[in-house]
Amino acid sequence: MEADQLRFILQELRFSAVLPVEGLGRLAEESTVRRVAAGEVVFRDGSTNNNLYLIRSGRLALEMNVPGRGAVRILTLGAGEMVGWSALLGQGKMTAGAIAIEDSDVVVASADRLRELCEADRDFGFLLMRQMADALSKRLVATRLQLLDLFADAPSLIPTQQAD
Amino acid sequence: MSDGYASRMPTPEAAARPWQTHTVAIRDVRREVEGVSTYDLAFLDDTVREAYRFAPGQFNMLYLPGAGEIAISVSDDPRNTEAYGHTIRVAGNVTRTLAGLGVGETLGLRGPFGTSWPLSECIGRDVVIVCGGIGLAPLRPAICTLLQDRQQFGRLNLLYGARSSDTLLFEREYDDWSRQGMDVQTTVDRSSPGWLGNVGVVTLLLDQLPSFDPHNTVLMCCGPEVMMKFTVMAALNSGLSEQQIWVSMERNMQCAVGLCGHCQLGPTFICKDGPVFRYDKIAPFIDVEGL
Amino acid sequence: MATATEMGTNERFLTEAAFARIFEVLESQGFTVVGPTIDQEAIVYDRIRSVDDLPRGWTDEQAPGQYRLQRRDDEALFGYVVGPHSWKRFLFPPQATVSKADKTETGWQFQAVEPEPAKFAFLGVRACELAAIRVQDRVFMPGPYVDPIYQQRRDNALLIAVNCTQAARTCFCTSMETGPKCTSGYDLALTEIANGFIIEAATAEGAEILSALESDDASIQQRQAGQTARQQAVDQIERRMDTTDIRDLFLSNLEHPRWDDVASRCLSCTNCTMVCPTCFCSSVEEVSDLTGDHVERQRQWDSCFNVDFSYMNGGNVRDNTRSRYRQWLTHKLASWIDQFGSSGCVGCGRCITWCPVGIDLTEEVAAIRGDAT
Ligand SMILES: Cc1cc2nc3c(=O)[nH]c(=O)nc-3n(C[C@H](O)[C@H](O)[C@H](O)COP(=O)(O)OP(=O)(O)OC[C@H]3O[C@@H](n4cnc5c(N)ncnc54)[C@H](O)[C@@H]3O)c2cc1C
Ligand code: SF4
Repeated sequence: MEADQLRFILQELRFSAVLPVEGLGRLAEESTVRRVAAGEVVFRDGSTNNNLYLIRSGRLALEMNVPGRGAVRILTLGAGEMVGWSALLGQGKMTAGAIAIEDSDVVVASADRLRELCEADRDFGFLLMRQMADALSKRLVATRLQLLDLFADAPSLIPTQQAD
Repeated sequence: MSDGYASRMPTPEAAARPWQTHTVAIRDVRREVEGVSTYDLAFLDDTVREAYRFAPGQFNMLYLPGAGEIAISVSDDPRNTEAYGHTIRVAGNVTRTLAGLGVGETLGLRGPFGTSWPLSECIGRDVVIVCGGIGLAPLRPAICTLLQDRQQFGRLNLLYGARSSDTLLFEREYDDWSRQGMDVQTTVDRSSPGWLGNVGVVTLLLDQLPSFDPHNTVLMCCGPEVMMKFTVMAALNSGLSEQQIWVSMERNMQCAVGLCGHCQLGPTFICKDGPVFRYDKIAPFIDVEGL
Repeated sequence: MATATEMGTNERFLTEAAFARIFEVLESQGFTVVGPTIDQEAIVYDRIRSVDDLPRGWTDEQAPGQYRLQRRDDEALFGYVVGPHSWKRFLFPPQATVSKADKTETGWQFQAVEPEPAKFAFLGVRACELAAIRVQDRVFMPGPYVDPIYQQRRDNALLIAVNCTQAARTCFCTSMETGPKCTSGYDLALTEIANGFIIEAATAEGAEILSALESDDASIQQRQAGQTARQQAVDQIERRMDTTDIRDLFLSNLEHPRWDDVASRCLSCTNCTMVCPTCFCSSVEEVSDLTGDHVERQRQWDSCFNVDFSYMNGGNVRDNTRSRYRQWLTHKLASWIDQFGSSGCVGCGRCITWCPVGIDLTEEVAAIRGDAT
C-alpha cells in the first residue's frame, strides 16, 4: 500500500487522528496493513514481539494464559484502538496474547522504528506517548471496574484500592 | 406527540391518598436470567386499570404484606396497558418472597412515581443508551418507545454491559431491536468459552463508539452508581455536556412521594426529583462519599 | 384615656380567672386542648384540662446538654421556654397506621387508613414553634402528594400562641428571624403580665374564642407591660448563628475537616432529630397478626442518625457518623432551602439542650464558617 494511502488511514483512526500529519507521514512509511482472519493469532501471551498494532477494522481480543483454564479473554478491542503496547514500552515480551475474533485489518508499525521516530521528533513523541497513556489509563480504569465486580449478587469483597 | 412522553403526575385522588395500594395479580412470570424474573402485573379493579399510565423510567412501589414494600421500575412497553412487566432481581427479603409467588397470586402496587427518561428531548437527536446489569430494565420502556417512533430520532445506540454472557437481560429481543433500527452492542466483564462478543466494561464501548454526533446526542444511563460515574466521565470526554446526560438513581425509599426523607441526595429527593436526573442537577453531589 | 381599639390595635386584657375559662370554651367547641405540663422533670406537651395542669411557678434552665426545672419566685403560668416536646408529635404523630392489608378469597385487599378526625387546640405555642409548624406545612402539604394525617390535623388545629417573656441560653430565634415575638400563623396570641394576659385574635376562629371570654380593652399600661415583658426575652437572647449565604457555605464545604471533628463527639443517638420540631423523617414497618392474613403498615419517626436509614441491599450509604451528622446539619440549614424555600432550623435550641454531649450547631456553623474553603 502506498505511504500516502496509509497516512490517510492513520488520520482516520481514533488513536492516531490527533497526531501531526507530518509525523504520521513518516509513521506511514514505516508501517504496513495486514489482514488477520478470524481466529488468527496476532501475537501470543509471553512471546517477544516488535510491533505496535492499530486496528483499522474488525475486532481483536486480548487473552491471558492461565494454567488449567487456558486462554482467558480479558478485553476486546475494536477499530481505532491500539494493541501491543509492550512492544513499545516494555522489553517486547507481551503481557497478553491478541487474537482476531473477526476478520480484521490492522496497521502494523515496528516498535524500534517508532522509538527512533519519537527520539528524532520529540514533539511527535510526546503526542504519541500521550495517546498511549490515554489508552492505557482507560484500560486501567476499565480493569478496576471489572475488579469491583459491580454486577455480582453480593457486593464483592475484593479490595478496591489498587496502586496507580 | 412530545407531551405523550412526559412523566405521569398523580391524579388528585392518588395525591390525597399516597398510601393507597391497589391489588395486582401476577399474570405471567418469565425467568430472564439466574436470579432475575419479569412479573406481569395486572390491576384487578377496572377503574384503577383504566386510570393507570406510566412514562418510561417511572417506578412503582410493590407491596408484599408482611414482607415489605420495594421500588421497582416498570420494564414494559408503555403501549401495554393490560399488564405491566416488572423485571426484578432477587436481592433480599421482599424480592425473595416475591420469587416464591406464582401466576394468579396477588400483591399491592402504588404508583407510578418519579421522573421519566427525556424522550421529547431525543426528538431529532442521536440517542446513546448505556446500561449495566439490571439497569437495562428501567430503560426497556424507553427503548420500546424510541423504536415505536423510530423516524423521530437520529442514530440509536444501545451499549449494555453485564457480568457474563449468561446474565444479559432480554437477549431474545436484541435482534428485533437491531432490525427496528437500534445498534445493539453488548459486553461482559467475564468471558466464558464460546462467547465471541465483547469483553470489558461498558465504558470502553462508549470510548469506541464510532457513529454519534456529540453535539446532538442525548445519553441515558442506568446501572450501578460507580458504573454510571465512569460512563459520565467517558461521555464528557467524548464531548457531551452534563446537560445531555441523564442517569437513573437509587436510594432507600419508604414512601416514594417525598415525605419520608430517606432517599435524599444533597438537595434532591430521588423519589420525586428523580429517579431520572439530568446529570448537571446531581453532579455536585454524586461524587461526595456518603452524602 | 384612649382605648386600645381606638388606637388601632386589638389587644385586650384577660384576668387569670377569665383566662382559666378558655379550657371550657375550647372543649365546648370540640377541641382537645394540648399544652405544657410537667412530666418526669421536664415541661412536655400533653392533653391538659385546666390551668392547674400548667407548670405554674416553674421555669426551665437550659444549656448545651443540660435541662433543669426550677421554681420561679412568682406564679407565672408560661414562665419557661420550650422543652423536649414540640407540636409535631400531634400533627405528625410518632406512630401511625397508614394502610391495612387483608387476605381474602380473591387475594389481598388494601385500604389506606383514613386519618382519625382530631381537633386540637394547641395552647402555648411559641414564636419559633409557629415557624416550625410553617416549615412542616411546606413539607407535608403543598403536594403533589400530601400527608393525609398531617393535613387533617393541621386544618382543624387552633393555635394559641404565647409570646416568650424570657429566653433560655440555648435560644437563637432572633438569628433565624422566627421570634421571640409571635407575628403570624396563630389564631390567638397571649403575653403574660402581672395578674393576667394581653390577648390578641388574628383569625375569626380566634376572635370567636376570645368573644366567649370576659376581656377588657387593654390599657396603655397593660400594653406597655406586655411590651416590656416581650422585650425582656429579646434582651436575654445571647446565642447567635450567622446565616449569611449559609446554603452555599454548607454545600461547598461537604468535605470540611470539621465534620470529622464533630463526628468524634456525636454519639449518633438521634436525640437531636427527635426533639427537632421540623425533622420529618419516617419509616414504615409491617405489623401482622398471627395468621399473617391481616397486616398493618405502621409509620414511625425515623432519624438520619440511624445506621440503616440509608440501607440499600449491600450496605448503608451513610455508614459513619461523619456522613450522618453532615446529612443532618446540611439538610437542616442548607438543602432544606432548595427543597422547601426556607431554613429547616427555627432557632429553638432543642438540639443543643438535648444532645447528651452538648453539641451546639451554632458552634459548628461558626467553625465551618471560620475557615471555610
Ligand atoms: C427507583 C428505583 C427503581 C428500582 N428498580 C428496580 C428494578 O426495576 N428491578 C430491580 O430488581 N430492582 C430495582 N430497584 C432496587 C430494588 O428496590 C431493591 O433491590 C429492593 O428494594 C431490595 O429489596 P429486598 O427486600 O429484597 O432486599 P433487602 O436487602 O432485604 O432490603 C430490605 C429493604 O431495604 C430497602 N432497600 C433495599 N435495597 C434497596 C434499593 N436498592 N433501593 C431502594 N430501597 C432498597 C427496601 O425497603 C427493602 O425492602 C429499584 C430501586 C429504586 C430506588
Ligand atoms: S448531635 Fe448530639 S443529639 Fe444529635 S445524634 Fe449526635 S450526640 Fe445525639
